[in-house]
Amino acid sequence: METGKISASQMAFMMYPVVIATGIVIIPSITANYAAQDMWLSPILASLMGVLVIFIALKLHQLYPGHTIIEYSVSIIGKVPGKLLGFIYLYFYLLMNAGGTRIYADFVTGAFFKETPLFVILSTIMLVSSFAVRGGIEVVGRSAEMIVPFYVIILTILCFLLVADLNPKNIFPILSDGLMPSIKGAYTPQSWFAEFFLIAFLLPYVKDIQKAGKWSMISLGAVLLGFLATNLSLLFLFGGELTERFNYPLLDAVRYISIAEFIQHLESLVMAIWVAGTFVKLAVVHFALVIGTAQWLNLSDYKPLVFPLGFLTVLVSIWGISSEMESAHYSGTIFPSFSLVVQTIIPLLLLVIAILRKKHH
Amino acid sequence: MAQGYLHLSKKLLLIVFTWGSLLVLSGCWDRVEINDLAIVLAAGIDKTEDDQIELTVQLAIPNQMGGGQQQGSGSGGQGEKPTLTKQATGTTISEAASILQQKVPRRIFWGHNTVIVFGKELAEGGIREYVEFFAHHPEPRLRSFVFVSEERASALLEVIPYLEQSSSQFARELARFQIGLRVTLKDLLESISGGARAVALPGLEYEYENVKEKKGGLNINGTAVFKEDKMEGYLDDRLTRGLLWIRNEVHLATVSFTPENADGYMSFKLLRSNTQLHPEIKDGKWKMTLAITTEDDIEENQTDLVLTDPKIIAELEEQLAAKIDERIEETLSTVQKEMKADVLGFAKSFEQKYPDEWEQVKDRWEEKFAEVEIEVVSKAYIRRLGMSTQPQGIPEEEMKEE
Repeated sequence: METGKISASQMAFMMYPVVIATGIVIIPSITANYAAQDMWLSPILASLMGVLVIFIALKLHQLYPGHTIIEYSVSIIGKVPGKLLGFIYLYFYLLMNAGGTRIYADFVTGAFFKETPLFVILSTIMLVSSFAVRGGIEVVGRSAEMIVPFYVIILTILCFLLVADLNPKNIFPILSDGLMPSIKGAYTPQSWFAEFFLIAFLLPYVKDIQKAGKWSMISLGAVLLGFLATNLSLLFLFGGELTERFNYPLLDAVRYISIAEFIQHLESLVMAIWVAGTFVKLAVVHFALVIGTAQWLNLSDYKPLVFPLGFLTVLVSIWGISSEMESAHYSGTIFPSFSLVVQTIIPLLLLVIAILRKKHH
Repeated sequence: MAQGYLHLSKKLLLIVFTWGSLLVLSGCWDRVEINDLAIVLAAGIDKTEDDQIELTVQLAIPNQMGGGQQQGSGSGGQGEKPTLTKQATGTTISEAASILQQKVPRRIFWGHNTVIVFGKELAEGGIREYVEFFAHHPEPRLRSFVFVSEERASALLEVIPYLEQSSSQFARELARFQIGLRVTLKDLLESISGGARAVALPGLEYEYENVKEKKGGLNINGTAVFKEDKMEGYLDDRLTRGLLWIRNEVHLATVSFTPENADGYMSFKLLRSNTQLHPEIKDGKWKMTLAITTEDDIEENQTDLVLTDPKIIAELEEQLAAKIDERIEETLSTVQKEMKADVLGFAKSFEQKYPDEWEQVKDRWEEKFAEVEIEVVSKAYIRRLGMSTQPQGIPEEEMKEE
């Protein structure tokens, strides 16, 4: 199977784009829809979910070191239920990756390449990610390490360039309708933060496992900062009312940048970080899917699965989702609940059962 | 031997694949060359007689654009215009644009559109439906400046201006000075859907110097006041200045008046100004305090006052503040009492501080707005005298020193 090793910091670099790449482009609009001017609170609430799933994944890995969830679910709840649960995980991550690629492709075709067929956009990014996965986890880790710093720098620069146009007063009134709108607004982002559960697939390959907890939290903190920075920039620029009406508010905000009529038309930068971030995201999720499938089928090598499963992901994202509206509806309603069950509640139950069983023995 | 052959064919395949992908990597279906684009610089929207809309676009002619700096002398020659205006009618803007496309051999591209002008006639019937297009279509930018034209927008865009290359650029530069209102599409969208239910847009007009060649200039003139999305009234230049003070958007301003106990005028040039809105609700009474702080330089002194005297300056500061108050009161009485249109940002200010009370009046804000008690507290500071301490051209003994 996989013999490569990554460092804990590489894992942090890999997890950052998994959450943020699709998150900052489509989530602000969904959050603003519920929370309006309190939209900046929602990511803070949602990040608590991230803390929880990281804790669960680390604990489970502590009990079954060197194993992924596909393997230890069999040890915890027995062969047949364990395999069944493993299948649910593989199914979930296949759907999640298909949904992610579809969000990516809809943005690219909708905003920039109107006439390019969806299939071309989907399959090119999937092909590149598949090559990375085929190269092994070290390749994915290193490309994340290379790409993510640029991602963060560009995102920071874009937020700073907006400063002249921001109106901080838009944050008022704070909590005028209580905490409920922000909690509702946090429901979709919590599923993005819960994607941190993917470390359950990566931990067996981490060299310095004692640092994994620290680096996971650093990654989570960075994601939270990224969400906060974009949500606040959008709120200060457009106000909650207008943010919710845009499909991709971040793109609109970046297009608004004009400094001395010289630094302007910067949307190509959004496109650049969008493609780079999505590449890492797809590669990480695809790696989890492929390695999980190989373990589930007791194969000796995962590499033959990379391209077939990549092709399957592309097919699901074309056939499973008929339009951009359906994709947005899915991300806003079905996916968060699905994620809550699969990425939070089931792992929590697994952990409880595992602890009880270990005590029993 | 067989293995070596395989190795070779694999290598060959790799080479073909890499070079082959270079061909497609440069772009795919959406490749558009710049010389296939008709770049829209400004868009004007008017109403036609049969209730359709007429879309006027100003298109850049790229090879005239470059030489435009030295007008009349370059290779372009006299009479060659750097822009071209085209019109089409339709029920929606995108329909008009697609009809327009039939007359233009290049693909119409909205990405560089910086100016949107609504004709007055259309503005009176409501602009919401037509703003939507510019926020919906992926190409136009939210930073485009929006204006209302007293005459038909199409006529305004046909003006060939002096100094600037196109009337679009002319309008944009004027907006940047902020002599009049400066409203971007984003601001418009924000206020049109906001709680105030009123919108203010700058007026734009033109003046021909040479009617035959359509040469002339543009002029930001006054403010069009909208209720909901329909144009209701017009504020002239003077009232617009007051509006700018209230909205904290004043950047360039010169205030002139005759000081007490003196003959002739003095002019003050604004350095910076800050207006803060302080809403207050006390015993059910809504009150708004405008706190205005301005800093000025003395730019012209026609009087016989000697300016080095701090006592004189203190008096002048007081009079200057009173003068600014007076201008603001004038605007307030028109906007608040006559038009009852909250283009001053009061609604947002109350909403931010008193969300619960706001919730109760937001459906009848128009009448509530007219009842809000307003207090103007302004303070002026004169910072510098300019290059002369004493009035120039007056004999020493006639100067007034207190």
